[in-house]
Amino acid sequence: GALLGCHRSYRSRPTHGIGRFKYLLPKEVPKKRKEKVQMKEISAGTEYQYGDLNIQMTSYDLCLVEHFAQYVHRLCNRLSIRVNDSYAMPTKTNEVLFLEERGSKMQLDAVLTTHQRVIQIRGLSSTFAPILLEIIQSNQPEGVHLLMKQHTEADFKSRLKARPELEELLAEMS
Amino acid sequence: RAQPKKKKKVDVKKEQAQKERMKKKLKKLEKAAPELIPIEDFITPLKYSESNRVRSLPPLSPEEAERRVLLLKKWCLFKQKQDEAEKKAIKALVESQQEALKELQLESEELYQAAIRRDEGLFPFEREGPSYTPPLPGYDPPEGKCIDTTKVYTQ
Repeated sequence: GALLGCHRSYRSRPTHGIGRFKYLLPKEVPKKRKEKVQMKEISAGTEYQYGDLNIQMTSYDLCLVEHFAQYVHRLCNRLSIRVNDSYAMPTKTNEVLFLEERGSKMQLDAVLTTHQRVIQIRGLSSTFAPILLEIIQSNQPEGVHLLMKQHTEADFKSRLKARPELEELLAEMS
Repeated sequence: RAQPKKKKKVDVKKEQAQKERMKKKLKKLEKAAPELIPIEDFITPLKYSESNRVRSLPPLSPEEAERRVLLLKKWCLFKQKQDEAEKKAIKALVESQQEALKELQLESEELYQAAIRRDEGLFPFEREGPSYTPPLPGYDPPEGKCIDTTKVYTQ
C-alpha cells in the first residue's frame, strides 16, 4: 500500500528536487593518480624547422642559472616559440682537493655543486634560430655555460634512476 | 645406469624452474615504472626549517623608506627602457632579415631556397659565459684532484 507520513517529493510535483544542494558547491577535483614517467615523442622537424632542441644551462651558481632559465623561458613565450618542457637535471657535487705545500696530504679546498637547467623547444624556424641565439648569448651571465643541442633518447634516460638489478637480469637472460 | 638419467632430468627441471623464476622477476621489475632522479636543489635541508632563529630588522625611518621607494621606481623605469630596447632590437633584426631574404628571392630563387633551409652545422652549439676574472697568464696552480661525490640513486 501507499506509505503514509512519507516526505518524498514525487517527480511530477513541484517540490521535486527540493533538497538538492550539491550542484551549488564548488566542483571537487578528482584525486591525481601518479603519472607514469614516459618519454614523449621526439620530433625530427622539417627542412625549414628544427625538431626538439635542448637549451642546457650549467653553472656552479644556482641563483644565476635559475634566473637565466626563467628569462629564457619567458623570452620563448614572448616570441611564441613552443616550449615542450622546462626541467632541472640532477645536481652534481665535486670535492676539490689540493696538495699542501709542505707535506704529502691532500687538503679539502672546496665542495662545488654544478647545477643544470634545461629548456626544450620545438618548431624553431631556421631563419629565426640565429636571432634567438644572438639574444641568448648577449644576455648570458658570467659563469653560466650554454649548450644547445638536439634532444635524444639518451638525454631523457640520463634523468632516470639506474636499475642495476634489471640490467643484471637482462644480461643474464641474453 | 639409472643415475646419469636422473641427473639429466633433475638438471633440466631445475634449469627450467630457474628460468621461470628469472622471467617472473624480470616481469615484476619491468612493471615498475622508471623514476626520475630527485633534484637536491628543490629539497630544503631540514636544518633550515627547524631552527628558531628569526631575524629582527630595525625599523626604517621615513626618509629611508622614501629613498628606497624612489630608487625602486627609478630601477623599474631603467629595466623597462632596457626591455623595450631589446624588443626593438629583435624587431629590427627580424625586419632586416626579411628584407634581405626578399631581395635575395628577387635576385635568384635557388639561393633563396638554400638560405631558407635549416643549418645542420648550427647545433650542437656551445659557449662559455663571460668571466669577471680571466685566467692569469703566469699562474702556477697547486697540484690537486677533483672527486665526483654525487649521490647515486638506484631503483
